[in-house]
Amino acid sequence: MQNTKPLIIEGRDSEGIRLESRLLEEHIQEAVNGGVRHLEIRAAGQHGIGGRLWQAGEPVKIRIEGTPGQRLGSFGYPNTEIEVMGSASEDTGWLNAGATILIHGNAGNGTCNGMAQGKVWVAGSVGSRSMTMTKRNPRFEPPELWVLGSAGDFFGEFMAGGKAVICGWQPQNPANVLGHRPMVGMVGGQVFFRGPMDGFSQADARMVPIEEEDWIWLKKGLSDFLLKIQKPELYDILCVREDWQCLTARSPMEKRETERRSMADFRKNMWEGELGKGGLIGDLTDLDMSPIPLITRGELRRFVPVWENRKYKAPCEGTCPTGIPVQQRWQLIREGRMDEAVDMALSYTPFPATVCGYLCPNPCMGACTRSSAFMAPVDIKPLGKASLAALTPVFPAIKGRKVAVVGGGPAGISVAWQLRSQGHDVVILDRSEVLGGKMRSVIPESRIPQEVLTKELERVAEIIPHIHLKQSLTRKDVERLKTDHDHIIIATGASSPRRLAVEGGERQITSLDFLEQAKANALKPGKNVVIIGAGNVGCDVATEAKRLGAENITLIDIQKPAAFGVEREEAEKAGAVFRWPCFTKALTKDGVLLENDELIPADTIVAAIGDMAVLDFLPETVVVEKGRIRVNEYGQTTDAKIFAIGDMVGQGLITDAIGAGRRTAQAICDMAEGRLPEMDTREILKLERVHLEYFDPRIPPKEDLGGCGSQCASCGNCRDCGICVAVCPGAAISRKDLGKNSFSYEVDAKLCIACGFCAGACPCGVWDLHPAVPIG
Amino acid sequence: MSANGQIIPSSLSISDLPWQIRWDQDKCTLCGSCTAVCPVNAIELGVFRKREITAGLGLAEKPSSSQSIRYGIRQRTSPAYACVGCAMCSMVCPNDAISPVRNDGSDKLRYHINQGGQPRSRGGRRNDPSGLLDQIKFIRISMLTDPALDAGRHTFDVNTLLGRVLEPRDALKHQREHGWMPPVREIYPLVIGGMSFGALSPTMWEGLQMGVAYLNEEMGMPVRICTGEGGCPPRLLRSRFLKYVILQIASGYFGWDEIIHAIPEMKEDPCAIEIKYGQGAKPGDGGLLMWHKVNRLIAAIRGVPERVSLPSPPTHQTQYSIEESVAKMIQSMSMAWGFRVPVYPKISATSTSLAVLNNLTRNPYAAGLAIDGEDGGTGAAYNVSMNHMGHPIASNLRDCYLNLVKVGKQNEIPLFAGGGVGKNGNLAANAAALIMMGASGVQTGKYIMQAAAGCLGSEQDRCNICNIGLCPKGIASQDPRIYRRLDAEKVAERVVDLYLAFDMELRKILAPLGRSTSLPIGMSDALGINDYHAAERLGIRYVV
Repeated sequence: MQNTKPLIIEGRDSEGIRLESRLLEEHIQEAVNGGVRHLEIRAAGQHGIGGRLWQAGEPVKIRIEGTPGQRLGSFGYPNTEIEVMGSASEDTGWLNAGATILIHGNAGNGTCNGMAQGKVWVAGSVGSRSMTMTKRNPRFEPPELWVLGSAGDFFGEFMAGGKAVICGWQPQNPANVLGHRPMVGMVGGQVFFRGPMDGFSQADARMVPIEEEDWIWLKKGLSDFLLKIQKPELYDILCVREDWQCLTARSPMEKRETERRSMADFRKNMWEGELGKGGLIGDLTDLDMSPIPLITRGELRRFVPVWENRKYKAPCEGTCPTGIPVQQRWQLIREGRMDEAVDMALSYTPFPATVCGYLCPNPCMGACTRSSAFMAPVDIKPLGKASLAALTPVFPAIKGRKVAVVGGGPAGISVAWQLRSQGHDVVILDRSEVLGGKMRSVIPESRIPQEVLTKELERVAEIIPHIHLKQSLTRKDVERLKTDHDHIIIATGASSPRRLAVEGGERQITSLDFLEQAKANALKPGKNVVIIGAGNVGCDVATEAKRLGAENITLIDIQKPAAFGVEREEAEKAGAVFRWPCFTKALTKDGVLLENDELIPADTIVAAIGDMAVLDFLPETVVVEKGRIRVNEYGQTTDAKIFAIGDMVGQGLITDAIGAGRRTAQAICDMAEGRLPEMDTREILKLERVHLEYFDPRIPPKEDLGGCGSQCASCGNCRDCGICVAVCPGAAISRKDLGKNSFSYEVDAKLCIACGFCAGACPCGVWDLHPAVPIG
Repeated sequence: MSANGQIIPSSLSISDLPWQIRWDQDKCTLCGSCTAVCPVNAIELGVFRKREITAGLGLAEKPSSSQSIRYGIRQRTSPAYACVGCAMCSMVCPNDAISPVRNDGSDKLRYHINQGGQPRSRGGRRNDPSGLLDQIKFIRISMLTDPALDAGRHTFDVNTLLGRVLEPRDALKHQREHGWMPPVREIYPLVIGGMSFGALSPTMWEGLQMGVAYLNEEMGMPVRICTGEGGCPPRLLRSRFLKYVILQIASGYFGWDEIIHAIPEMKEDPCAIEIKYGQGAKPGDGGLLMWHKVNRLIAAIRGVPERVSLPSPPTHQTQYSIEESVAKMIQSMSMAWGFRVPVYPKISATSTSLAVLNNLTRNPYAAGLAIDGEDGGTGAAYNVSMNHMGHPIASNLRDCYLNLVKVGKQNEIPLFAGGGVGKNGNLAANAAALIMMGASGVQTGKYIMQAAAGCLGSEQDRCNICNIGLCPKGIASQDPRIYRRLDAEKVAERVVDLYLAFDMELRKILAPLGRSTSLPIGMSDALGINDYHAAERLGIRYVV
């Protein structure tokens, strides 16, 4: 082939006009198809010379004089050998698939771009983005680029295969033979270079030592290259192993290894190195800032569970004016301590049977938590009645304050009972021979069995001395009492009945007088009875009137009757008719004449429009406002020595009077011990803390004590059921026996995560979550 | 509520709540994690009575009724304990048994979040998922017309300038005549907006600062972070890291004595001083740090008593006119560092922004203007301020920029835009849109919280309890029991991640435009929007 004389193809026509690239290509293809295997092209900038010559089927040699255009040897085939006598333009060897290309001058930008096979030798330097996007197909030998001089910028971008050799001989930039930012995106191949360079993409490539096998290849290739470019004399200069370096692509694994400096390292050495230990605020706080998990224990809990046994009043206790902790009594019953449950009442009231069992409308039951879920409240009546059997407690010897109680009704007896129980020297002064006030003298026997009341009054009389006054107290008497006693307690009640001021007013009998006489059977009311004032006292009158033979009983009122409860039921049972609004004009011998001139026939007309306190005996030091004595929360009047309680102060239930007595007694006990009186300020437990789900709503109300006790929700009062222990996910709760029927539940902070399950499950609402004490 | 209970107007059932807890009895193991982690105690252990009625076929046996007890997780319905949808319960549940579900149908809670006559205040965002910035497209794709660049392999210079940029001739004249040239900083165009030490937890704040320091020192990115109004820890003030920090002064002046004391000991000048006049999320309102978050540490840094709420006045108190406000504050703050530090105001976007800007153009010491749009976030504000007050950033910024163009100062006074940048996760696209509309850079806060620390807030009113210190991720809490959940180091790593990713995305947007050597500030011919009126208003192309 070398011996064959080349066919010369001119890049210009006879007139020197440049042939179009298309025409030159046609000439070349024709020649080769015609059997020519050695061509000399006198190029004039034509595009793509030397590619696509597969049809020859055997080697074709192309020598190029003049100036080849862009993409010399593109789509080159392995049978093609190209030699450019001068320099080449851009993209030489573009998508080269096997041609060998020898360039005696420089090659422009993009040399070997996308080359997959073949070899390109450049005797000068190559432009930017050379050896970029090169490939390696395992079916063929890898492509090679040999450059005597240097590479332009962005050399080897996205190089995926092949070998490039940059000899660095007379480089364009002596300080950098590989140009600006070489090897960006390199994923395969090798670059051998000789001479200085200014960095490469560390993320993609790495410098490796030249292996022996590579060095042998390099030496051999260098020798061939120098012969081809006719500079064999450089071999000894260039072939110095220490002068050569090799760049190769990082594997994906290696790329991961080149991750940035760890933040932990930066924090320790740079951040804290500059700021000091503890970083940004290490000087301001010694709080631990180390990371913690979402679920924490111990000090790091945001909340802590607290066993709030008896911290709050149960609704029954809280609404009982006397303040009896009913729920504790039911607990004693559940525990089988029946006697204690019964006896306990006497620490709160001297009349557990009379009042709780009979006379009281039982606000405790009205407030019972069970009612909030349409469940029958726990019935207190049986427990009240059972308390008749309560043992009279042994009171301590008298040693305390000397107290005179004026008035032997429920309020007076209550305060005296409580004071005596604390060892104070107390005496009751009353106008009656027998204590008991209206409970004894006015309330009909139909409502309270006489033996019950008598028994409880006897219990009182056993303990409290009683002076029968026989006459009303005067202001002077009170002054005298004051000098003889540490405290006086006025509890004379509402003893002065209100009378109707209408024409014929003298025909009325007051309810107080009526009931007193009725109880003594000293009255015959006749057939027709009209009761003016349809409250509960009026109802009592109606019931008694019926008992004494009345047939037509009418209760009239100017407004909707206020009567309620047992009293009203009894009156209705007695056939009493309630009428309202009725405005009384006059009382006549025939009956009650209304404003509308209707006459309601009456043999007896009873005025049941309330009783008033008698206040005229009070010393001037006791301030009275609008018919009422001014007292503080525990019954003390403006005269520090004098207290006033019960209906004196404001009318209420018997239990109100008993409760007032308790509070006053407590205050006096506090004062005796040199303390400021302290009232029970505990709040009532919030309803939603109690879980009635534990009770069957279909269980009908029970009457026996055991049945009642079992259905009590024990609001705010730990029933020792152990549900909290069972429900705690961390087994942090345990029961602690404190002896003497006493216990507590405790939380191990090391195990507790403050989930609040204990509070959520507690039937009694004893557990609660409290915010932890703030840190920092 | 109890069967016999009485309802009150604010009695709500679970169906009325915006977030409902779905709980699966079969999967639940009653481990207590969900109730332990719930930040607002919205769930509790419930006791349930289960009734079973049995009757035999043919009624051969006597039918019976029996009751049993079971336990489960119950959602509380009181407005005070309403679920906020944070889903921390799902996060801790080992069995995927629980999750909050958004109830869009009948949210009645919104009518009852004013108990005691106190309107709702909260942290978070505007709760409006839409956003004009997300609609803007980059329509100029230069495949062949301009040099086509490759975001991955080309080098890009995307830094921007903060400071009064004078023409060389003017600058030299300034230097010659006044012996002073305005200071200018070359910074990265994505600035972490002002979030105070106090609003953010110590771990969050440290994480952000550490991440910024890393970006500067390890990655060579001149990222800057603004302190917000709450002072600056003394150590940071005395460190070399201060140069990455923009110190904010706002109407509360919290912590400025510490800064003044540190000036003589500063190794570096701060990057700049931002004078906060307004905040996009709650224009017309000052800062508000609720008492929950004012613990000993915060109180010390701010120089206030512990456990008091710290409202900042809505305006700087001793300034009564725009001229005075701007001139007096810029003068003072410039003077503090010998006129070496750029000083610029930050305002809420408002229909009066132009007045401020025009004033700044006449003030040689003004280094720029930051404008914060309505979509900005906040740690605490009244619901009504957050939802209904404020001006969108896009048109406000555009008006300001075009006004600068009109007076020929568009290259002189840099505008920084904020408020909703990246609100739906499109940080780079939103930033690029604002830059091409005329911003020299953008400020962002919410995106950072979400990406760097996993903030759970969403535009559907999820979580948003930053104000009461119960942030379940420990981002906006001062309780170590909560903020120690957040590891400053991990936050810093995420800051680095998000900046590197942003940088790549920004280049992906800039490369097709053929821009690599400078930010395309004001290059609005590259923008298009599928909304005719918006296009007209913003002076960008309407594309359909």
